[in-house]
Amino acid sequence: MRRRVGGLETELGLVCVRADGSRALEPEAAARELFRPVVAMGRSSNVFLRNAARLYLDVGSHPEYATAECDDWWDLVAQDRAGERVLADLVDQANVAFRERGEDARIHLIKNNEDSAGNSFGSHENYLVDRRGEFTRLPQHLLPFLVTRQIITGSGGVVTEEGGAARFVFSRRSDQMWEAVSSATTRTRPIINTRDEPHGDPTRFRRLHVIVGDSTMSEVSTHLRFATTDLVLRLIESGRSLDDLRLQDPITAIRAVSRDLTGQAPVALEDGRTLTALEIQRRFRAQVERVADDADAEVLETWDRALDAVETGDRSWAATHLDWAIKERLLTGAAQRHGLALDSPQIQRLEMAYHDIDRGAGLFFALQRRGQAPSILPEERIEAARTTAPTTTRAHLRGQVVTAAQEAGVDHVVDWTTLRLSRQGAMPVQILDPFETENAAVERLLAEIRAAGA
Amino acid sequence: MTQQFVTGPGHGEDDSAEDPTAQGGQTFASVQGSDDLLDEIDAVLETNAETFVRSFVQKGGE
Repeated sequence: MRRRVGGLETELGLVCVRADGSRALEPEAAARELFRPVVAMGRSSNVFLRNAARLYLDVGSHPEYATAECDDWWDLVAQDRAGERVLADLVDQANVAFRERGEDARIHLIKNNEDSAGNSFGSHENYLVDRRGEFTRLPQHLLPFLVTRQIITGSGGVVTEEGGAARFVFSRRSDQMWEAVSSATTRTRPIINTRDEPHGDPTRFRRLHVIVGDSTMSEVSTHLRFATTDLVLRLIESGRSLDDLRLQDPITAIRAVSRDLTGQAPVALEDGRTLTALEIQRRFRAQVERVADDADAEVLETWDRALDAVETGDRSWAATHLDWAIKERLLTGAAQRHGLALDSPQIQRLEMAYHDIDRGAGLFFALQRRGQAPSILPEERIEAARTTAPTTTRAHLRGQVVTAAQEAGVDHVVDWTTLRLSRQGAMPVQILDPFETENAAVERLLAEIRAAGA
Repeated sequence: MTQQFVTGPGHGEDDSAEDPTAQGGQTFASVQGSDDLLDEIDAVLETNAETFVRSFVQKGGE
């Protein structure tokens, strides 16, 4: 597909502490407090917003924000960043309420993928793929790419090995992967999840659900995740014959790649060859030239720079642009300055602060304000994305309906494919084409909403 | 929109137009900024870090 719809689902960690750091509220109670304004507005803790995104509470009391359908990866980054701000506003409101009630409690939302006990939560990427394509061919080529992608898009972190040694790695998420492809998410978590909910016409589309990614703070890292994966999907879909890079053991490989900051350790392929993570990435990078066009030039250049940073060890660009390298500098610098082990609680705390979505408390944003983390999207574009859906996909229709219904005070029920009013007998409007941006039935629904609110 | 900052300084077409004094000013500002930043980082490290880390335990999601 030249035009592809994608979306990003982010689950966040939730912690509510007293001023001394001890737990003030259990996650369930903190989540109720956090979602109070959402429930008051939408009569549910599972709502769609004016920007057509979905906001809800997932299992384990994890707040989750799923971006609307995007067909432009900078739109997706803007929608994702806007979601952080929507959630940060909820955090502010809850913390103000605690203060007003005289309670010693403060909520933090941590956009990472693991709590301090090792429980995981995800950052799930969704890509629309053509139903007619050979889905069997897809994982075979996509897996070697996804296993090695972490050397550019990982969010970095510290793991403690069984012998007790702590080390910095590209992605802690790699240790949470247990299978290459399967239908599980909570146990035996796979790199590619086979859940097939296309949220569209199932005869035309299917959904590719990639759950190996780290939650990324850097706009460059988030953009690279989607833009490079999209290019590789286009390459696979083009039907051209491709170099077969199937790995002998993807799970062993993903852990080894995560630990090898040089990118140059050998990875065993199924056919007996060995290649390094850098070589595998360079091959994909070279092969996608065949499907890339002018609009992709910038992504290709950034991809090259990210690989160069690993290959040369020169972090000067990466340490201010890519999550893993920004965090490597932050954590190893602080550990050295204070004579701390990388897996000390102090450094763990620092890592959590990097992913804190509060723009005052979050260290990513502190770095961003000083030019030590990237700030790509203009402020206006992020702010606009809080209330405006992408205009080039079906999200545009959903966003208009939610906005009109909220403004008119009309009860409504929407999901990814269906829009309707809550009143009895209301006819649902179904939109099974994620690329549709104009629809006569939606126009009639909008007129009905405005009339009801008048 | 342009995303020329992705590639960072040194790749833009209008590099030559950069005012060297402005660049000097930026360097100075970022050194100052780094000092504040170290203070901010140290404040996180030194404020009940261990207790906070222990408090952040939740059931898994996904």
